[in-house]
Amino acid sequence: MIDFLISIFEHFVDPKKRIFLGYIILSVIIAFIWLIFIKKFSLVEAFLKVFDKRIFFSKSSKSDYLIFFLNRVFTLFISPMLITQIVIATFIFHALHQLTWLDVNMFKEVPKTIIIGLFTLFIFLLDDLTKYFVHRWMHKYPILWALHKVHHSATELTPLTIYRTHPLEGIVFSLRSAFTQGLAISVFFFLFGDKVSLATVLGVNVVIFLFNVAGSNLRHSHIGIRYWRWLEYILISPAQHQLHHSIAKEHHDKNFGATLAIWDWVFKSHHYSTDTEKLTLGLNENQTSKEHSLYTIYVSPVVEVIEIIRTNFISSYKNTKRMVYRFLKIKRQINKNLISQRKDNTDVKI
Amino acid sequence: MTIKKSKLTILTVIIAGYSTLASQAISDTNYGPFPITVKGYTGTKTNSVSYTGQMARHVLHDSLKKLAGTGSGEANPALEEEMMAYFSGSKKNKAIISPVSKEGFKLKQTLVNSISSGKNLSGKAYKGVVNGWPGQMTGAEVLEHMIKKAASAKSGFDPNTGYNYPQLISKFAMGAVFYNAAVDGYLDEKLAADTKPNGKPYKDGAYYTGKEHVWDEGFGYWGAAAHTLNLSAKENYEVAKMKNFSAADFNNDGEVDLKTEMTFAHAYYASSYDKGGKTNYLHTVTKAFVDGRKLITSANGKNLTDSQREELVGYAAVISSNWEKVIAESIFKYAGSVYKDIGKLEGLLDSNGDTTKAFADYCKHWGELKGFSMAIQSGKNNLGETALKMNRMIGYGPVLLNSSQVTGVNSSGEFLKDEALSWREYKLHMLKVQKLMVDAFGVEARANDQTEGLAALAASLGTAESAEND
Repeated sequence: MIDFLISIFEHFVDPKKRIFLGYIILSVIIAFIWLIFIKKFSLVEAFLKVFDKRIFFSKSSKSDYLIFFLNRVFTLFISPMLITQIVIATFIFHALHQLTWLDVNMFKEVPKTIIIGLFTLFIFLLDDLTKYFVHRWMHKYPILWALHKVHHSATELTPLTIYRTHPLEGIVFSLRSAFTQGLAISVFFFLFGDKVSLATVLGVNVVIFLFNVAGSNLRHSHIGIRYWRWLEYILISPAQHQLHHSIAKEHHDKNFGATLAIWDWVFKSHHYSTDTEKLTLGLNENQTSKEHSLYTIYVSPVVEVIEIIRTNFISSYKNTKRMVYRFLKIKRQINKNLISQRKDNTDVKI
Repeated sequence: MTIKKSKLTILTVIIAGYSTLASQAISDTNYGPFPITVKGYTGTKTNSVSYTGQMARHVLHDSLKKLAGTGSGEANPALEEEMMAYFSGSKKNKAIISPVSKEGFKLKQTLVNSISSGKNLSGKAYKGVVNGWPGQMTGAEVLEHMIKKAASAKSGFDPNTGYNYPQLISKFAMGAVFYNAAVDGYLDEKLAADTKPNGKPYKDGAYYTGKEHVWDEGFGYWGAAAHTLNLSAKENYEVAKMKNFSAADFNNDGEVDLKTEMTFAHAYYASSYDKGGKTNYLHTVTKAFVDGRKLITSANGKNLTDSQREELVGYAAVISSNWEKVIAESIFKYAGSVYKDIGKLEGLLDSNGDTTKAFADYCKHWGELKGFSMAIQSGKNNLGETALKMNRMIGYGPVLLNSSQVTGVNSSGEFLKDEALSWREYKLHMLKVQKLMVDAFGVEARANDQTEGLAALAASLGTAESAEND
């Protein structure tokens, strides 16, 4: 039981996870620096702002805490059943052997430091790009939005809001991660052999580490740190992500990026940050506390998904069936006509 | 005088008691000695353990392997006859060609009959059809076919087919004779209640019961020294390599007794994997043998009860499954070697380098791979689809430098060759063989793992479990 509880809370002490206590402390420090030096708050005002009890004890946040616990339990049970990155990597590694224009270890002579740099950067970019697209699809496709809106039903953001994720959505995210890692490690291992490794700090990809050290936890917070405009084309600022949670129509489907804003820029979903204080976060203006209930969080999305499947797929199946039936009926009629025509022709000959 | 006599009696009792205790202490971890339990035995034997026939077969096997690598490249009927003498048995008391004493590692026996007389390998070889070898032959026929070819191959290696006969003969014989006889005979149907019952001597006048000897013979084929459990995997490995005399000479008589103190065949391979620390095959299998023997001894010459037999069958299952995994580990290891060898050959071919040594190494590893892949099919389990996949992926012969491969054998026993698949495809086959060993047998030591780097990279990235929003 103790091991189980440790597993649930281990993300707080795992530098690979965003809510690692070290990153949270650094995010708090960055928030203080922002409020005191940029927003000209006094130390007390900054303290009251950072640890605003209206945020941390709001219904939204309290449901985040409960969901964190429940989702960690779900994850511990579900993740062993999911396909792993190593299975995907092995499959791709085998497949690469069949490509005649590639050879195993064909770039093994490249200096190791370059290989490590390339791999570290490649996996970061691929990871961030696939996160962008999966996030975009989460908003685009109704079946995925039914799941993703659980996350957007948060009306206050705290670092734990990242766990406000429907378990089915969590499976989608895990599969994305497995696919990304599997692809990156198989391709690099095939081309560069044993020289491939990851540049790490505390065992974490150095780029991810820097992102986390730079206050990644503030994305899901009420501290609206904004970057220079030029920088917001490259990196998503906390305020840009907070805007992504805004209910304003003009902010819908903007800023899908996780770390880099470049993807939003290239694929035309970019939006500069605005003053977070002026934003209303959540799904819509009429949102009630019902959106934070466990039923709405866990059950409603499943009901909605089933309904979408029923109305779209089953009815389209019926339509297809009807069309095939009609086609066959017409074909039968044509055949009948042809036969009778032939018969007529024969009669004439006789 | 009376006082002296009584003192002598007390001393005798103490010594006898101490000896009994010591012998019992040894038997806790050693495979023997175990007391005589068979009813009605009137002879002088005090230890019921007997598996010298199996140890004789181990030296016959080692010697045959050695001889298989001595051909001159010309037809050599004398060599063939000599090899057949070790394979089919000989009336002469043949010399042990391997292992032989060396500086700092003196062996007790130099002649096969000093271990056991009248033994052969052919009579115990797998009786079914060997699907991994062309010609639809039985185990003994395949080995004889290989022996004939080896006699005329230079140092046992035929570059025209890529066959390294010492490796093929040795690895296949280990399966077709030792593994097959043990797991498909002694540890299988011979454990049935009405076969070689424990309530009777194994044969008239024997000093061991039916089940005692059945079990001993199974242990003998495993190839472990009787004191295996007193040594680490590394020490057992060094014993097999004749590099650790003090570990081998358990009774400190200055000689290594090939009957009880040497590590052979599968036990050696188990030690080679276990010394890496990921597996414990050697001790697991040997302990099951020791525990099983203790159980039989505890029946004290009576027929085993149903529950005792059930327990014994449980030990046999542990032995069989782990033994099978040891062979699968070897297939895994040599598939990895072949994969690496092809990479080296490709490099040399690209740079117009000399491929002679690299090609010989490749064929040697392929021979080990092929031999073990045929060996694992000689057990009691019908490996079905796994065997089919393995045979197809490995093929009848290695892919040769001229892109040909043995595809069959004609009625005269000559190998037929045809166009082979590409190096690229063959390399992929080796990876798939490794994956098959993991999926079908759950190998854990995974020597020469060609996807180990993938696993290491995956570990460095951490779990892909990422059920959070960003």
